[in-house]
Amino acid sequence: MEKIAVLVEHRQNEVRDITFEMLGKAHQLLEGGGEVIALFLGDVSQKGLLDQITPHAHRTVAYLDSNLKDFEPLRYQAAFTNIFENVDCQLILMGQTAFGMDFAPAIAAKWKIPFTTDVVDIEASEELHAIRQMYSGKVNAKVSLKPGEKMLCTVRAGAFPAEDIPTVSGELQEITGAIEGDFSARTFVEYLEAAVGDVDITQADIIVSVGRGIKDADNIPIAQELADALGGVVACSRPVADKKWLPKERQVGTSGKTVKPKVYIALGISGAFQHQAGMKGANTIIAVNKDPKAPIFSIAHYGIVDDLFKVVPALTEKVKELRG
Amino acid sequence: MDIIVCIKRVPETAEADLVIDGSKKAIDTDGLVFSINEWDNYAVEAAIQLKEAEGGTITVISVGPEENNEVLRRALAMGADEALRLTDPAFEGSDAYAMAKILAAAIKDIPHDLILTGVQADDDGFGAVGVALAQMLELPYAALVTDIKKEGDTLTVHRELEGGLEEVDTLKLPALLTIQTGINEPRYVSIMGIRRVAKKEIGAKGVADLGLSEEEVGLKGSLSQIEELFFPPVGEGAEIIEGTMDEKAEALVKILKERGGIG
Amino acid sequence: MEELQQPLPERLDLFTCIQCGKCTGGCPVSIKSPLNIRRVIRESTVREDLHIFFDRLEIWDCTTCSTCAIRCPRGLRPVDAIIGLREMMVEEGRIEKTIIDALDGAYKYGNPWGRAKNKRAEWAQDLEIPNALEMDPGQVLYFVCCAASYDPRVQVVAKSLVTVLRAAEVSFGILGNKEVCCGSEIRRMGEVGLFEMLMEENMKNFTKIEPKTIVTTSPHCMNALKNEYEGLDSEVLHYSQFVWRLIEEGKLSFNTEVPMKVTYHDPCYLGKQNGVFDEPRDVLKSIPGIELIEFGRCRENSLCCEGGGGRMWMEGTGIGKRLSEVRVEDALEMGVEAIITACPFCLLTLEDAVKTTGNEEKIKVIDLMELASMGLGVTPEVE
Repeated sequence: MEKIAVLVEHRQNEVRDITFEMLGKAHQLLEGGGEVIALFLGDVSQKGLLDQITPHAHRTVAYLDSNLKDFEPLRYQAAFTNIFENVDCQLILMGQTAFGMDFAPAIAAKWKIPFTTDVVDIEASEELHAIRQMYSGKVNAKVSLKPGEKMLCTVRAGAFPAEDIPTVSGELQEITGAIEGDFSARTFVEYLEAAVGDVDITQADIIVSVGRGIKDADNIPIAQELADALGGVVACSRPVADKKWLPKERQVGTSGKTVKPKVYIALGISGAFQHQAGMKGANTIIAVNKDPKAPIFSIAHYGIVDDLFKVVPALTEKVKELRG
Repeated sequence: MDIIVCIKRVPETAEADLVIDGSKKAIDTDGLVFSINEWDNYAVEAAIQLKEAEGGTITVISVGPEENNEVLRRALAMGADEALRLTDPAFEGSDAYAMAKILAAAIKDIPHDLILTGVQADDDGFGAVGVALAQMLELPYAALVTDIKKEGDTLTVHRELEGGLEEVDTLKLPALLTIQTGINEPRYVSIMGIRRVAKKEIGAKGVADLGLSEEEVGLKGSLSQIEELFFPPVGEGAEIIEGTMDEKAEALVKILKERGGIG
Repeated sequence: MEELQQPLPERLDLFTCIQCGKCTGGCPVSIKSPLNIRRVIRESTVREDLHIFFDRLEIWDCTTCSTCAIRCPRGLRPVDAIIGLREMMVEEGRIEKTIIDALDGAYKYGNPWGRAKNKRAEWAQDLEIPNALEMDPGQVLYFVCCAASYDPRVQVVAKSLVTVLRAAEVSFGILGNKEVCCGSEIRRMGEVGLFEMLMEENMKNFTKIEPKTIVTTSPHCMNALKNEYEGLDSEVLHYSQFVWRLIEEGKLSFNTEVPMKVTYHDPCYLGKQNGVFDEPRDVLKSIPGIELIEFGRCRENSLCCEGGGGRMWMEGTGIGKRLSEVRVEDALEMGVEAIITACPFCLLTLEDAVKTTGNEEKIKVIDLMELASMGLGVTPEVE
């Protein structure tokens, strides 16, 4: 493999982490040789974002148009066509994200590009193999793509590190000019921020959940602080909701809500199976409990047998350090 | 408004101990319980709610063997009007792309204003069939939809983005939406309800009926294929993290980063 | 299949209700929930469209303890009006998510917690209990059912019962992974079709092995099998009845002193609904060292623990103290060391109440079979 293109993902004037994760993987796959090409679709006003991209790609191809500020798949597709036909590469990486999931399959279907989605690893020794998860992460699949001029993989967010991406002297190639066509069949209207105090734990990717071990309503902020640092929400087990330490809609379990976050951190939750029923579908379960025999450890992927009042502040601090 | 909903029958694997079969390319489904793919259940409910408000018909389509009639029948009991099963030995091994081709061939012959699919399926988790299908049918589409409002020929939808953010878009009908879980509360389907539709005829179409060739579907018509299944390296029960408090916290941060726990 | 052809009031003869209010007067949840059973009966007879009830979550507060049915001077069963309304809601699919999950779990996996079928007999894997399907007809079948199969706390009860049965040299078997939920709670959540499906599934096995006696862990299962399963010829007994018979017949006696001051909580489905008041007490009293002090509200007047009628899957709208907490506080006042009960739901709700009231150090909740096992010198291991 010699040339890998990465579609930059940005939203609300921020380059999203997945971009760097993909750039890093592209460099790794090319083992220092070859060419990493960053593809950027955006508004002229967003040109500043390219400063974060160009150092990490041998070449950055940017299509700048005043109508590309926010993602609209039909318009983006038209712009992408322009790049796609002019950029020589064997593999295109996009994110398996709200953006990539709304874009990549259409691109692949349009040009019949061999593709697979949600990959957690890519091997490119002789042939290209993608590793992806099936059955909610219970089984991994090694997938081969039909040989083609170009191939496409969408990459799971967080599968590759976003740090320590090689720095190369990248050239910037700008393409401007209005995109022709009628794209009114789907138009972007606006972003809606999640309402404050209106937390829907079933929609959260990261949940910090507290149980009886939190001991008192006054201790809830300890968990909240960790959740805030992680960008997650606080949920609870039944005893906590019963005591009205947290509202009922935060309760996980048989008589509460069923959640399937990426990460579920159970703090001081023993893990009665009524609770387990509500969270066993989480991708990763981390349990902190003083009791090594707590049933939560049988369902958790990772466990710490210790006092949550010691573990949580230490963890919160580390996360905050990391996020600067 | 006439709506088509594409639904899949999948094994429930959350609590099951999975076994990879002799071919190494599939899991052994003996003893597994099958049901409608969770996302598709929300899609069927979304269709019924639109029908209740707007009138029209709902057709549910599923690709697979006769057992798929179970999920089709359940959708009929829930409120769909017609059901169609697409089945052919040649479909075996179809990836998301080939699956979209099969569905597109069937949908071309059915009048529709709106097509709904789930965002993804519980089993292979591609999250690609709906959007690829929209592309093949040249329909405007939106993925990860969490809210639908209809006004005339225009839909206003919410899409779920990362970190609690949502996006509002408008789409012109006819269109395709992939439905995210939580968009509604799918109604319960009672056993008596299912028994009531037990005798309803469910049509079946194969490769030839769809005007497709065997080369266009199944493994031959796919752009990707599974080479091998294997278990991710995770042990039974929790991996207990030991060390000083600082080391424990450090290890947790690493895990959180790897597992998408720092959003 | 019994269709709901007749309107609810006709079907349950509700027009003969004289609105005396004895039902509400005796209803244990009426003091804490908006649920007023007398008014529900009245409204259901005068309203044309029963959909007015659909948004009233308190319909799910009823624990189906059936005190109302016992007290009704007209011999009506007000509790069945509640179940009838739930049936209508189930038919239209308009029920809460937690109830849907329980029903889905029972449909797919044969238990309302949706736990794997092939893990149903895991609790018994080291016990070498014979497979009932391979036994000759006319034997004892132990019908374990869901809570005892899957809930780690109630598994201890099942194991204790095995200890007791073995001490009395009873030969018995279990259905293992072939057993499915008895459907009692499913029926009370209004899913008649699913209840019938589960009944048919269990009946297939019952018919095959023709057990002489079926012994259940839960009074709820005993009630369903005995009073609601169609065409079941076997004798159905709750374990308290069966164990007392073993004692009476001289096949079982307790050799170990268990010095403990206890009270006994009557499960509604055992006492009120099936008149089994004495057998559990007789078993208790035959364990040396046990001193039984009765609750003020006992036997027919026993206070419901709020665990039945689907309440394990529906928290309830009521505010204020849970009845199980009232029960625990009453017991503490009586100065007993433990509350003994004989129903998995009572065990779980009462034990939870001990924790929520912060009385873990002061009082225990023990199942009658755990106590019996202690009377045999085998202390059950509760984690």
